[in-house]
Amino acid sequence: MALMVLKTLESMGPLHGYGIARRIEQISGDRLSLNYGSIYPALLRLEQERAIVSEWGTSENNRKAKYYRLTAAGRRQLKQETAEWQEAAAIVARFLAPKESL
Amino acid sequence: MKALWRIWARVAGLFHKNWRDREMAQEFESHLQLHIDDNIRAGMSPEQARREALVKFGGMETAKESIRETSRLLWFDTALRDMRYALRGLRLNPGFAATAVLSLTLGIGASVAIYTVADNLLLRPLPYPDAKQLVMLYEKNPHRGFAHNVISPANYFDWKAQSSSFSAIGGFFDFHVILGDGKRTEEKDAQAVSGEVLPALQVKPVRGRIFTMQEDKDDAHVAVISYRLWQEWFGGDESVIGRQVQVNSRPFTVIGVLPPDFYFNTRTSDVWLTLGLNPANNLRKTQGRWMWAVARLKPGVSLSQARAEMTGIAQRLEIAYPEFNKGWGADVVPLRDSFVGQAKTSLMVLLGAVTLLLCVACANVANLLLARYSARRREMAVRGALGAARGRLIRQLLTESVILGLAGGIAGVVLAYFAVSGLVALAPRDLTRSVQITFDLRIVLFAFLLSLVTSIIFGLAPALMASHGDLNRGLHEESRTSTGGGTRMRSWLVALEIACSVALMAGAGLLFRSLVGLQNVDPGLDAHNILTFRVTLPTQRYKEEQKRIDFFQQATEKLNQLPGVRSASATSYLPLNGIGAGTTVQISGQPPAKPGEEFVATIRTVLPGYFRTMGIPLKRGRAFNAADDVEFTPHRFIVSEAFVRKCLSGEEPLGKQISAWMNKENPFGEIVGVVGDVSDKTLDSEPAPTVYYIHSHLSYGEMVFVLRAENDALSLADPARKVIKEIDPELPLSQIRTMETVVRQTFASQQFSAVLLGGFSLASLLLAAIGVYGVLAYSVTQRTREIGVRIALGAEPLAITRMVVASGTRMVILGAAAGLAAALALSGLMKSLLFGIGPRDPLTFVAAPVIFVVVALVAAYVPARRAAQVSPMEALRAE
Repeated sequence: MALMVLKTLESMGPLHGYGIARRIEQISGDRLSLNYGSIYPALLRLEQERAIVSEWGTSENNRKAKYYRLTAAGRRQLKQETAEWQEAAAIVARFLAPKESL
Repeated sequence: MKALWRIWARVAGLFHKNWRDREMAQEFESHLQLHIDDNIRAGMSPEQARREALVKFGGMETAKESIRETSRLLWFDTALRDMRYALRGLRLNPGFAATAVLSLTLGIGASVAIYTVADNLLLRPLPYPDAKQLVMLYEKNPHRGFAHNVISPANYFDWKAQSSSFSAIGGFFDFHVILGDGKRTEEKDAQAVSGEVLPALQVKPVRGRIFTMQEDKDDAHVAVISYRLWQEWFGGDESVIGRQVQVNSRPFTVIGVLPPDFYFNTRTSDVWLTLGLNPANNLRKTQGRWMWAVARLKPGVSLSQARAEMTGIAQRLEIAYPEFNKGWGADVVPLRDSFVGQAKTSLMVLLGAVTLLLCVACANVANLLLARYSARRREMAVRGALGAARGRLIRQLLTESVILGLAGGIAGVVLAYFAVSGLVALAPRDLTRSVQITFDLRIVLFAFLLSLVTSIIFGLAPALMASHGDLNRGLHEESRTSTGGGTRMRSWLVALEIACSVALMAGAGLLFRSLVGLQNVDPGLDAHNILTFRVTLPTQRYKEEQKRIDFFQQATEKLNQLPGVRSASATSYLPLNGIGAGTTVQISGQPPAKPGEEFVATIRTVLPGYFRTMGIPLKRGRAFNAADDVEFTPHRFIVSEAFVRKCLSGEEPLGKQISAWMNKENPFGEIVGVVGDVSDKTLDSEPAPTVYYIHSHLSYGEMVFVLRAENDALSLADPARKVIKEIDPELPLSQIRTMETVVRQTFASQQFSAVLLGGFSLASLLLAAIGVYGVLAYSVTQRTREIGVRIALGAEPLAITRMVVASGTRMVILGAAAGLAAALALSGLMKSLLFGIGPRDPLTFVAAPVIFVVVALVAAYVPARRAAQVSPMEALRAE
């Protein structure tokens, strides 16, 4: 979840919680259906880790909303976690590959 | 780094809780609005849009709770809540809280106080760099019972030449000087040190410098002073270096000031001078054993290696100089051990004692907690049934015990702070002679940890018990009929308390019996109403023997005429004071003894009237009179009974000619009298053979005056000072005290341990009695119905009483037996503190448990009587 949030913020720029949740759902092609409420603890944790910062702003349709923005530390974290995740995925993929070839 | 930020954020989260909650609600609200807007745009009706948004959001409360958990230190919140709850519980039950805190205050306070003293003496590094390498070198003579003996300068030089274990060996001795700076003249404690000593201790002077080796060799007139003296006499003046002072009426130049916390061997030294020994002199011919030596081990050399080397050197010296060294060996002792000495045993015993007391206090509080929790068992069961996790319950109960523990700890530290100054005042001199005792943050930290650990120890078992899983039983249990595991555990705890207390009491009993024994020992003199003080004549102005003889004769005469003085005299060393001179004695008509087998006697030089003044009984012959105290009369001696027994094998002493080697010339002289024995050191040491010189034949320049007063001895101090000043205005009086004080000092260490141990054992007796009472009273309350039935069926009140007392007897007997066994096993450690009784003294070991059983039975009788008075109607109505 943290990785997805960071990635979303990187590609979309500052965004509010609803937008992030929505975006994650869309990116997954609606295959990933999540409770929007569960995005907030993840956001709070990232904020505590200073990977993102938040401020109140106004949405495109003139609603007050809290916007989250990626920090430099957040960018670093995203890069690192992306690399880690890709490596882990590669390992699992390699692990699964021979089985299919058998 | 990430984790740190997260913790920081959570700590910050402890504040502005409401604001954060509001902000969260706003954010959720805006989220829903955005979602609803989107939904309406997608063509839903407002209600539908709202419902869809809520469903998609998921559990609103779950999300809020999850956010709250993430945003704060949850355990801290819980702890706060537990603490509030526990405090409320304690406030509702002040009797319980007070008893528990008081028990812990006693236990922790006593432990912290004793630990403070022990920490200072045994654990803290001595104030020298690499202090572990520092050792004292001693001579020893096991045949004559001299361990840690002063050493001969001749052997000292041979040790230095032959040993290779040490990077430095230095000689020193403690004495006192008359110090003057033109304005005042006072006696000050001093240390004469060879050039190696201060460098070996690696002390850096705060001003000026320390002695050079050359200055030591030349015995240059230079002095190093203490920081204390620099402040007191010179007001910290920078120009003190190079200033002239009078040491024993000779001019010395101050060359350095030592740091404020520096001390060595004694804490009272204010002046350091050079030792100035010349190895060229034939020191074995001219000097005996009189100095000390300190050394620093070379890096990598162990204590046992050094000891082995020194033993070998001493054996070679014994063969090379049989007349001087026959029977003498050498010993190497770590500096700390030599500083602390005998006090170590006392301290170990006291540390053991406070540990026992702390155990009793813990058991007592655990006991109280158990009683309290068994009353709350139902509450626990209900809370368990409502879904409280067991760990959560235990945590809440432990919070209560930690609060009790910390309260006891805080009160204990306050108690200890005052107790320590009391302890130091009460402590025997050798306990505090060479090490400073301070109370600092380290001790407070120790107390804090101690109270945390103890509160977990005494709180955990009751908490485990109380939160015990069986909900059904807890809910169904009728509290008045239950005799569950709690009661059994409480009996065990009481048995433990009794065991510890009996062991303590046995220890205290042994020490008290020793103390009483010591106080009843006949010291061989009448110590009442005697004033003593020392006067030292500066050698410079009193070089001629006749001057010294005249001074003391004149002073004694004048003191004798003071109103309120019955008689006055003087001696070189007070008896029972631990210091004295000893030498070889030859008896006319006997062949010279083989080396190492000579008779050795303690030598005192006295003025006429000494025996009468001190109340030492004259057994045979006559005492010294004024006619003896003339330089040119033939030598005459008075000896002690021990001398007659040991050196003359009981032969007729009067008229025998003896020679005691104290001077260059030691003519034989006649024994004219025999006096009773007085011990040199402590009352329990065997009196050494003693030979008394008359002052004119052994004219010391430093004598201790003794004045027997009509009544109050100390009131004579001022008139006596005036008398001395009249004769010589520049002579200070020092060590003014009564003979009773001197005698009391000899058993100070026993008194110290006995008083403390006695106090501890009384405290633990009280705690254990409370324990017995508590358990039985509780069980009587629980069994009210049963007892009521018994009475209704015709049981006699006496039988009921007996039944209840008997139920308590088992734990008392069991505990007492265990305590006795423990005490028997441990009492051997106290051997060196005992006098007149063995470590297994039967009287003590019978009396201690008996006293205990009696007290315990009395404690048991009170609830038993209440049980016997139960009215059956009431008991059954209580249903």
